[in-house]
Parts: sequence; structure tokens; C-alpha cells
Amino acid sequence: MLKQDVLILANRNLWRRRARTILTCLGVLIGTASIVVMLSLGLGLRESMEKSLAQWGSLNIVRIYPGMHFDREGNPTGEARRLHDDTLAELRAIPGVVALSPTYTVYGEATLGRKRGYLTLVGIDLGAMPELEFTLAHGRLPSAEERFTVVAGYQVINNFWDERAMRRQGMYHQYEQQDPAELLDQRLRLTINNQANYERKQSFNMFVVGILDEKNMERSWEVYGSLRDIKRMRDFMLQGVNNQQEPFYGPGMVALQPRRAVEAVSAAAPARGSRGRDDRQADYDSILLRTKDVAATKRISAALREQGFNAWSMADGLEGIERTSRTIQAILGGIGGITLFVAALGITNTMIMSIYERTREIGIMKVIGASFADVRAMFLTEAALIGLFGGIFGLGLSYGASAVVNKISAQYMQHGMMMGMGSGEALPISIIPPWLALFAVVFAVLIGLVSGLYPANRAIKLSPIVAIRNE
Amino acid sequence: MLRLVPREGKQGSQEKDVGMPQGMPQPVKPMLQTKNVIKKYRLGSQVVPVLNGITLEMLPGEVVAILGTSGCGKTTFLNIAAGLERPTGGEIFIHGHALNKISEKEMAAFRRRYIGFVFQLYNLIPSLTALENAVLPLIFEGVPAQIREKRGRELLQAMGLGDRLRHKPNELSGGQRQRISLARAMINNPRLIFADEPTGNLDSKTTGEILQLLLASVRERGQTLLLVTHDPEVAAYADRIVEMVDGRLLFPQAAAENNYL
Repeated sequence: MLKQDVLILANRNLWRRRARTILTCLGVLIGTASIVVMLSLGLGLRESMEKSLAQWGSLNIVRIYPGMHFDREGNPTGEARRLHDDTLAELRAIPGVVALSPTYTVYGEATLGRKRGYLTLVGIDLGAMPELEFTLAHGRLPSAEERFTVVAGYQVINNFWDERAMRRQGMYHQYEQQDPAELLDQRLRLTINNQANYERKQSFNMFVVGILDEKNMERSWEVYGSLRDIKRMRDFMLQGVNNQQEPFYGPGMVALQPRRAVEAVSAAAPARGSRGRDDRQADYDSILLRTKDVAATKRISAALREQGFNAWSMADGLEGIERTSRTIQAILGGIGGITLFVAALGITNTMIMSIYERTREIGIMKVIGASFADVRAMFLTEAALIGLFGGIFGLGLSYGASAVVNKISAQYMQHGMMMGMGSGEALPISIIPPWLALFAVVFAVLIGLVSGLYPANRAIKLSPIVAIRNE
Repeated sequence: MLRLVPREGKQGSQEKDVGMPQGMPQPVKPMLQTKNVIKKYRLGSQVVPVLNGITLEMLPGEVVAILGTSGCGKTTFLNIAAGLERPTGGEIFIHGHALNKISEKEMAAFRRRYIGFVFQLYNLIPSLTALENAVLPLIFEGVPAQIREKRGRELLQAMGLGDRLRHKPNELSGGQRQRISLARAMINNPRLIFADEPTGNLDSKTTGEILQLLLASVRERGQTLLLVTHDPEVAAYADRIVEMVDGRLLFPQAAAENNYL
């Protein structure tokens, strides 16, 4: 029997009992749609979480801090490894590390023309900046030949406000967004207080040559300069500081930055040993480490913690998200699976009924010369077609449901954005990638085939004589 | 009006076995040969004998009628001869092929190639058109649509149904349905046609038409026809009539001796 003939006959037989076939398809449709929508929700949820995490900071960057080392629950487990040049060499040797840079951090009061504000200034290996995903909105990155040239985060400008203008216009003025480009090619004057003797001050002039883009929220409130320049400022800031003393945090510190909290806790921990303070003061404030991909980030971040570093990355949060989304997917997929299983029983039932009705017909075909293979092919094809139709329309329904879910969630998110949370466009929480669409249809057909096996076997075993006996 | 017409056996000589030397007198190979076929059914604890040793030989081109009352076992014999049912004992050969050597799986293809069926209740597939019903054996054979439809159209035209090709069986009369059924039996030119009460549901006028058509088609193709009926008038169309009573053929030996060789 030719394949197209099997298909034509099976299809025609299917539509002889239109209502029954449609109802059976409906079962498959609902089953497929629920599985697809469930899986798409799991996928979308995960992706949107990943994307919003990436807004806060790159998933390819590991940050390493000195201070206390914490376990998963956040309990201090001992002192973290120190960060100096030997450490750098050690870290560079880890496979999967693309680039790294130590940092020094200083903070102080800054002026920009008439405006005043507080700044966090980070010194970094300028050569490593492109590798460390510093991307620009305006201007350029500082170069090593220059002195005191810096690049500012996208939001740094919002640290500055004109006190006189504020007094005139009221406090609300403070919250107005300012144009980041306003900082470009401007002179910033940073005044640093010595932390041992707060009365001692020194001012440094800096020239802003570039503005970072807004992709990385973690960096948007900081100003970056060369290690050498910032080290000089820091040396002044820490002159005469005893290690036992808490470092000073200026009022300009922004609570938005999660690592600040960690740093504050670790700095406040009393477990400082009796190490010489000079030796300790030369240690880096942190190390930024760029990995080759998210998987490497997770691996390296965990391995570093294992080795006693106080390491942290945005990707660490992924694991929890992944576990949650896997659980959600398992639950939702399970519901869909049960639905589809019931649908499969429906197909089997329909096919058995159909065989009862067509007993005589099957008998005739066998007498006329239909082989076992022909009979099996016809009934399996019918069952598979039910699966196919159910699968295709189920997929259609899934696309519809997915669009509705995304629309509703987008409305909620936009609502949230108006309240001042989050940023960027609303991310879809239900995603149906092509592989999922294909998988759904193939799976539905497979379900049909499997459901058709038993009925097809019954049809094969049917005795043609009994079937065509004159009644 | 029983007609026991001995036939000349002329058409039988057309059937030649490949590999036999030409021009030499050859023994005619029977188209259908049954040897002492026995069939017993088990009904609960009781064993009911249906066929009690049927021995029959049909030469190529021969038209034989089995005449018998209902329940005498003639349909069972037909089923067994066609390989639809296995006998309890005995042997059947179709064109020299022993049926008991053919597996259940190969039987379908064998039937398709060697045997055409005509039933009392037509046994057409209600969802298929006249043309599709007629070419059904070719569909199972895997013949492409264009070729089989051309053949089917020609055959149905010959059966007088040229204008009913796209009709469904339930839109046609009994006689028309049986014509489709005849076309289906003939479509792949089998050597053997089994007709089980082909006119049992038809009025006498249509009965005559159908039988004439059947006989004409069979003769034209040199096919061998086994006609099973309870009606002596129908049986009278055959070259030879054997009567069946309680699962036995009356004087089959005598018939064979009288008519052949």
C-alpha cells in the first residue's frame, strides 16, 4: 500500500465520525497546550530573571573581596583570603578566566561646577577595561598615558545637585533625572578626608573622558580611573589608619549596591588579626574577574569560595532561580503530562470504538487483500493523525495563551515601572522557542501512535470470516 | 432445469507452466484442488463437524457451482478454499500452491494475486466511491492512483456503471452495487473467482443480468469460477454442478471421472 493512500484513507475514515474525532483531538489539544504553556512559562520565567539579573551586573564577572568569608546562610566562617599580587597571579591561572583587574576604592565629596555630591572612585587596570565589559555611552575610556582621567557611570551625574537651585525649587528637584552626557569633558574635584584624622583633607582634580552606558546598573554610580591615580588618593585617605578601625563610609554611599552591605559587614567583623597594617593596607580592595561564560562564572565563583576567597557574582543567584524554575516546570509539566496521558487514553478509546464500528469493513479489506501491515498502518495513521491535529491546534492555542499571559504580565510590569521599580522593556514571561513547538507536535503524534498500538493490534487479530459473516 | 454440461477443457491448455518443453502434451494443472478437507467447530464441549472430507478439483477456466441448502457448509468450504480459515484436516492447492504452507502474513498478498471475491451482501466499503471500491485491491497492491483509476474506470464502464463512478454504495441499487463488487473481483485479473450467493439479495431480473455479466467476464479472461448457491437456477449457469449435503459433496468422484481426462 502506498503511503499517500494510507494517509488519504486514514484521514477520510477519521472524519466520518466528525464529532468524536474532534472531541478526541480536543483532549490532545488541551494536553499539548498545557504542556507547552507550562514549559514556556518555565523557560520565560528563567530567561526574564536572567535578563533582569544581567541588568544589575554582568553574569560573566566575579568579584572578590577581602574580609570575612561566609557560608551559604550568611554566617561568617572565617577570614577570607587576602588580595595582593600573588593572588592575582593565582587567579589568572584558573581556566575559564578571561581577564581580571584589582581595584582600589576611595570616596569623598566632589564638586562639579556649582553642583556638589559624593563620589565613589574606583581604580582599575585600564588595559583590562574592555575585557571586563566596560561599554561606553559617550566619550572614550581613559588611557594609561594620561593622569587623572576618568570614566563615569551612567547615573553618577545624579549624585550631584545644585544646592542653591534646590533651595529655590524645593526638594523634589533632587530626584529629577539629569543628562549623563552633562558630565562628559567636565572637571570633577574630589575632596578626600583622611580617615585617621578627619580634619585632614586633600583635593584631586579629574577630567571625565567618557560615560559608561546603562547596561550594568552595578557600575552606574561609580567613577573609574587608573589604579595608579586612585592608589594615590587612597594612600592619603588611609594614612595613619589603624586596621582595627572601621573604614569610613561617606553619606554619598548608595544603598542600591549589594556588595556594599557585604563589605560593611565584613569590615565590621572583629576578627582582624595582628598583621602589620602597612602590609595590609597595600592589599587590593577587590578583584574583578571576567569569565568566559555564565557556566564558568558559577563554577569559578563557587570554587573561589571553596578556596577561602570572599567571592561573589550575579550568576550565583542563578542557581536558586534555576532550581525554582525547574521546580515550577516540573509541577506544571506534570499537570500537562497527566492531561496528555488522559488524552492518550481517549485516543485509544476512540480507536477501539472505531474498530468495533468498522469490524465488517476491516474484514472486507482483509479478504480483498489488505495485509497485516496495511491494516496496522491505516489504524496507526488514524491515531497519529488525531495526535497531529490535536498537537497542531494545541500549539496554536499555546501561542494564543502565551501571548495573553505576556500581555497581562507586561501590564503588571509597566505598572511596576511607573512606581519606579525596574527598568527597560517588559520581558515576556512565556516563551515558545521553535524547538518547543516542534517537540510539542512530534510528541503529540508520538502519543497518538502509542495510543493506536493496542487498537491496531486488535484490528489485525480480527478474523475476517467473523467480520463478514452474513447477519 | 439442471444442466450438467461437460466442458471441452480447451481454455485450460492456455495455462502453461514456465519451464516445460513446448509443444508436448502436458497434464493440465488444476486451478483449485482440495483433498479430503475436514472442518470441525467446537461449540462449548460439543464438536460440530461442518465439512466431512471435501475433495474437489477445478481445472483452469472451469465454472463450478456448489449447490446446497443453507447450513450445509458451502460457505465454510469457500472460506477454507480461499485461505480465510484453516481446515481441521485435508489439503488445498491453488494453482499448485499448498495453502497450509502459506503463512498468515503472506496470505493477504496471495489472495490479492490469485483470488477475487463476490459476496451476497456486496461487502463494499460505505465511505468509498464506486471507483475507489472497485480499485481497492490495487490500492493494497500499491498501484499508483492514475494507473489504477484508469483501469477501474474502464472496468466499471464495461460493467455498465460508467456514469456512477463517484457515487457511494448507499446511493446505488443492489444490482449496481453487485456490479461494483464484480469489478472489484476482476480488477487485478485473478485466476480464481469465488462467488458466494452473488445474487442472494437481488430480484430475478437483476439476478440474470449479474450472472450473465459474471460469466461473460470470467470467460473473457479465462478465469476459474467457483459459484456457491442454494438456488438451482443460479447453479445452472455453471459448467458443472456439485451438490453439497451435510458437509459432503455428492458423487464428486463420479463427476470428475465423467467429465475429465
